[in-house]
Amino acid sequence: MSDIFSLISQSATGLFHLVVFPGGLFALLFGLVLKGIDRKVEARLQRRVGPPLLQPFYDLVKLASKETIIPETANKTLFMYAPLLGFTGMAVCLALLPVPGVYYGMENMGDMLVFFYLLPLPAIALMVAGSSSSSPFGALGFSREMTLMFAYEVPLLLVILAVAMQVGGEGSAEFSLRKIIEYQREHGSFGFTLSMLPAFVAYLLYLPGTMGVPPFDVAEAETEILEGPLLEYSGGLLAFFQLTSAMKLVIALGFGVVMFFPGTVAGGPLVNIVWFAAKCLLLMLVALTLCKAATARMRIEQALSFYLKYPATLALVSVVLAWVSL
Amino acid sequence: MNLFSDIVVRSPWLYRINAGSCNGCDVELATTACIPRYDVERLGCRYCGSPRHADIVLITGPLTLRVRDKVLRVWQEIPEPKVTVAVGICPISGGVFRGGHSIEGPIDRYIPVDVNVPGCPPRPQSIMEGVLLAKKIWLDRLNGIAPGHKEERHVSLP
Repeated sequence: MSDIFSLISQSATGLFHLVVFPGGLFALLFGLVLKGIDRKVEARLQRRVGPPLLQPFYDLVKLASKETIIPETANKTLFMYAPLLGFTGMAVCLALLPVPGVYYGMENMGDMLVFFYLLPLPAIALMVAGSSSSSPFGALGFSREMTLMFAYEVPLLLVILAVAMQVGGEGSAEFSLRKIIEYQREHGSFGFTLSMLPAFVAYLLYLPGTMGVPPFDVAEAETEILEGPLLEYSGGLLAFFQLTSAMKLVIALGFGVVMFFPGTVAGGPLVNIVWFAAKCLLLMLVALTLCKAATARMRIEQALSFYLKYPATLALVSVVLAWVSL
Repeated sequence: MNLFSDIVVRSPWLYRINAGSCNGCDVELATTACIPRYDVERLGCRYCGSPRHADIVLITGPLTLRVRDKVLRVWQEIPEPKVTVAVGICPISGGVFRGGHSIEGPIDRYIPVDVNVPGCPPRPQSIMEGVLLAKKIWLDRLNGIAPGHKEERHVSLP
């Protein structure tokens, strides 16, 4: 009997983490507000007035009110399910996102590797979308998205390895986010550790690539390949892509905060949630908004060689430093 | 329902169709978007690259014979409800190209135009006023006050 109760309570907490916090509602609202702040600050940096703060919400309501067109020549099943692929991937990933001081995800398992495998899902969803929409621009976007993904996944893997080796010590690696947070509570945040600084810079450079913002928005370049994979999407299906992007923003920023600045403050869980959100916001302003407002789009081969040269090298430096345990 | 449509019209995405324009109006459209003083993003607007994402479509140029079929096809790709704005004197009357051998315009021979923004080229202020008017028409259409394109008339490809 008690087994059944514990099972029910377990699945209830699991559902809570999936639907309310940190996944689901919290992440959606937080991600959309972050996007609104991003657009407003970018406009102010360019001396424009900018859209209202709640613009991403208005966009979603608008998209829901529009007609959804599915092209006759498209592969209908794939075309319909591509947005859901990215959305569900991000929803599951969010349920595992630790919020330091409040929630620790999968506790003692190697959840960092789960993040590494789930994070590219929106990009894969875009690839499926581009290739199933039967438009030449979609196919172009598909090939660009794939090239870009190969470019930015290399530094991400090296960053994860550097952090894991620093925590593991003595040549071994530790892939549990809870252990990583606890290690940094004792030894100081990796964002302020000299040997981890190159990895942190590499992660900062990884962020604009994975979020597809300038100068790495080559796959969705609206002025050259007409938004590539998203070209044929309209209405509700396009809204799903926007939701996925907002959730991915929270995951990418939250993952960075957990790896490099997981410090907590005294006070209840509510204070720590606000503290976590503030750190995410700061990370976004530095890595995405500033970068977006100041740069123009690269060509695909420039983006590829950039990622394989600089962030990968920086992360590799950190891996070596962690290996010789400096 | 009213609140819903009030929120919907706060996010008008703009799409530009060049129907054989001399590029003067297109430069003004870019100005409207890029120069801080005008900044259409404050109205929630965004220039989108795909006709499938558009709500308000801005057409420039006198509709030449060569682009006619393509313009009509792209216009039909835009999901309903949509609002059409003719920017510049060319789509309205043909402008300086009126009577030319390759001119198929004025554009409302083929497409139901909702707002005319005259000028050669029009100033950014009048383009923004045109977008605001288009927003009003869009709201009326959502509330069922103004007729939509579907019941109004059909575009037939020649």
